Amino acid sequence: MAKNKTPVNLTLIEQLKLQVGNISGRIEAQGRNVFGDSNVMSTDEITDFSIEFLELMVALLDSDDPLDHHRPAFRALQTFFGNISKQILVRGGRMEDFVRYMQFLQRCFIESLGADEHVSPEDMRAILLLLSSVFNELMLAVFQTYLEEKERTIDAQQRELRETSTPITEIWDGVLTLPIIGTLDSSRTLLIMESLLNRISSERARAVVMDVTGVHTVDSQVSHHMIQMVRAIQLMGATAILTGIRPEIARAMTSLNIDLGNVTTRATLSDGLKEAFRLLGVVVSKA
Amino acid sequence: MNIGGVHLTRIGSDDMLLEPTRALDISDTGTLLESILECLQREKSLRLYYDLAEMAVIDPVYFAWLENLSRACRAINVRIICIHMQPTAAFGLATFLHAAPSFETALDMQSLREES
Repeated sequence: MAKNKTPVNLTLIEQLKLQVGNISGRIEAQGRNVFGDSNVMSTDEITDFSIEFLELMVALLDSDDPLDHHRPAFRALQTFFGNISKQILVRGGRMEDFVRYMQFLQRCFIESLGADEHVSPEDMRAILLLLSSVFNELMLAVFQTYLEEKERTIDAQQRELRETSTPITEIWDGVLTLPIIGTLDSSRTLLIMESLLNRISSERARAVVMDVTGVHTVDSQVSHHMIQMVRAIQLMGATAILTGIRPEIARAMTSLNIDLGNVTTRATLSDGLKEAFRLLGVVVSKA
Repeated sequence: MNIGGVHLTRIGSDDMLLEPTRALDISDTGTLLESILECLQREKSLRLYYDLAEMAVIDPVYFAWLENLSRACRAINVRIICIHMQPTAAFGLATFLHAAPSFETALDMQSLREES
């Protein structure tokens, strides 16, 4: 049920209207101070921010229940702060600066009230509670936006890393190369296998040279995944050639009882390519 | 020729192509195996191409059927080569196989001919 406007809200609105010039000026000055040097927000943007923020704040206080987070007025303010924080993040600004700026906005309101001797201590207490509640919610919204943006960035980075960490290249007609760098965990193996098997099918590849020079450690799980990939390649009817196995990896595989008897291995990627060419009957000679 | 859910076609002098149809019932493989082997011997085949193009997934039961067929073919000196294995099937098989299968695999008949 909607509540009626309380005297606290009215007092705040009145203060805002009376001191709008003063508050707005302070907000803009602080905004320029915080964001001006880093070019995160231009002077015009800071002015627009200040005006829009005060308008939305008045609209919120003017609503039936300013603390109801589901009200359009509250949603509008949350969205406004969410968008600003997103913009700041995209432009390389620090979220810490923006949160401190928000704390400054809150302080501006409180300080403007302090100058008015007609506000009773009870009203002042209620106003402080109201302001802290509203600003806490807004800070949560900003924090939420920050987390979402970070997650989006991490997702994009992971996607890019996955794509660049498994560059399957058709180096010759029917010969694919796959350099593996880093660790082979289950999720990465699945991704590599999926794209590799599809490439074998689409390119009609007859040989796949898997270079593990970039794999520095091997445990039972990694070696199991390597064997799994080799087996899948063989099942497709292609030949898997494993190259670049370091001595320490070979030793580790022996101690893990991994049998590479059915796998064609070569010392280097170059030797692996030569073997693939031999399988295909390709002769590479100097011109 | 049609034998209980598989279609066998003679290709070349020594080769046969086996295409499984949807009617293939691998719950009773004994009779089916005998019929296929009989046909292979009658045609004096040395190689049997098993077309897996329509098999998106190969489960352990179907794999056991392929293994049985492969071992039986080897007993009568016929090589079995599975062709057109789908990436999804290879992916699935590789996850539960602990050893190399007893049958050979090739992308298709052409690639095998190019190799030999």
